[in-house]
Amino acid sequence: MSNSTIALLLAATLAACPALAEEHAGHAKSGAAAPVVAPVDRGKVWKDMLAKPSLAITTAFDGKGRLWLATIRGRYLYISHSDDRGNTLSAPVKVNVEPEDILGDGENRPKIVVRKGVVYVSYTRGLEKPMTGDIRFSRSLDSGRSFSVPLTVNDNREIISHRFETLWVNDRGQIYLAWLDKRDLSAAQRENKLYNGAAVYYTVSDDGGASFRPNLKAADHSCECCRVAMALDIDGTPVIFWRHIYGKNERDHAMLRLDGKSSPIRVSYDRWEVDACPHHGGALSIAPDGVYHFVWFDNAPERHGLFYAHSADRGNRFSAPLNFGNFEAQAGHPHVLSLGKAVHVVWKEFDGQNSVIMWMSSADGGKAWQAPRQITATAGASDHPLLVADGAQAYLSWNTAREGFRLIGMAP
Amino acid sequence: MMPRIFLTLALLLALAPPVAAQEIKPFISGSIKEITEARQGKPFILSMWSLTCTHCREELSLLSGMVKKYPNLDLVLIATDTPEESEAIALTLGQSGLDHAQAWVFADPFAERLRFEIDRKWHGELPRTYLYDPTHAITAISGKLDRQRLEQWMNPYFGRS
Repeated sequence: MSNSTIALLLAATLAACPALAEEHAGHAKSGAAAPVVAPVDRGKVWKDMLAKPSLAITTAFDGKGRLWLATIRGRYLYISHSDDRGNTLSAPVKVNVEPEDILGDGENRPKIVVRKGVVYVSYTRGLEKPMTGDIRFSRSLDSGRSFSVPLTVNDNREIISHRFETLWVNDRGQIYLAWLDKRDLSAAQRENKLYNGAAVYYTVSDDGGASFRPNLKAADHSCECCRVAMALDIDGTPVIFWRHIYGKNERDHAMLRLDGKSSPIRVSYDRWEVDACPHHGGALSIAPDGVYHFVWFDNAPERHGLFYAHSADRGNRFSAPLNFGNFEAQAGHPHVLSLGKAVHVVWKEFDGQNSVIMWMSSADGGKAWQAPRQITATAGASDHPLLVADGAQAYLSWNTAREGFRLIGMAP
Repeated sequence: MMPRIFLTLALLLALAPPVAAQEIKPFISGSIKEITEARQGKPFILSMWSLTCTHCREELSLLSGMVKKYPNLDLVLIATDTPEESEAIALTLGQSGLDHAQAWVFADPFAERLRFEIDRKWHGELPRTYLYDPTHAITAISGKLDRQRLEQWMNPYFGRS
């Protein structure tokens, strides 16, 4: 990108805050000046978007090698399982009995974790105003035969954005959820103050998901529409990874150990200054030796594309970011999974005809990498690629409009 | 059947503006070629937006101001939504004062293919704008445009002489 292009980028961000105010202004204006044009019902546009079918399927293995799938159909979240690597599925069980608008577009998808026989799920419920939502949680104590009535996890109940949640459960049975939350933006707007971006909030349940502690703020000023990633450190403490807003408007990545005392650490220095919706979050995996493995996407003039880095000391130092993927083939939506000393990375590219899933792996904890290889492809719309493991092997989990759901084992 | 048509006509005559409703053309594989070939040797602005992108609202408002200030501006708008949302798209553009710009909507769920034909380096972030000079050398911009810089680019081509 040329210097003139960089100059064209507006430095200051107004984040998403003008949107709602503008919505009302727009209604008033159109009513007076242009009576023949009906005002755009942004609520209806949002509802129509919520009603679009979702390709998002999230999967997880339990400790016994059974694969669990979370799928959105209509206004319900369904959970099913498979004992033959996804070839045949059990009859899906509804999580929410009352219909809800479950977000499954872009960076939104339901989450599922199965630990010690308990199935934990979370999702974002779209509310009546555009770009608003609540974080919902449910569990099954009878091996997925029935689910608890979903509860709302965010303790701020304004009709604002609490979205892009992530879920993990540690060996102590503590359930952690982290998400992007606009309550601080909302408070600032009430006082006519500026607030850059959204905030990251989290909570934990110590009673197996019957209740959650009051919400805690992890960080102010996150980017607004990129997924939050979470992984468990070897001591059971979750670590989160998200796209943050540094300085005036640099949308770089940050990590934080949710131990109640750590501060956010900047992971990337790509310096992407943009007032746009990237819809493009990173991923994190923590290896049994405690090494953190990160992947992310940035589109700054100097540093752009997909990146991988690791940290062996909880984020004090990072390896030099490795730039991977074909930038001119839309390389995007990376996912990472560590399995023993092996590290797997998958991402999506478009080769001119097909969307293809690319894979690269390292056998030595992310120091040396094999050349990227294509695993599979589709000639139509598709979900983001995910990586899951059954303890012994890594799999690509990918849903496509043409071929349906696929689980593809990766050679070690 | 007939009475309903008369009623509709009566309503249209009573309420409709003197211009026809804006056509939202289906953007499919090959459409970008159609757009550029129709403008050989001519500068234009191609603007990608979506109904669900908050930054895009500000972008449309800025472009609306440009259309008023530079009546010769050739602006092509492509919404990355679906054809089912054409009505909302036309209403949004009408409200923004952009009802005379050529407007398209993504009409293929395989968005990666459409993006590839427009620009191999575009990863789907919105708004995304392309400034085509008369030789069709392209300046690509992600995110909201800066008015001053945009006008500097536009002036030689669309400013009043």
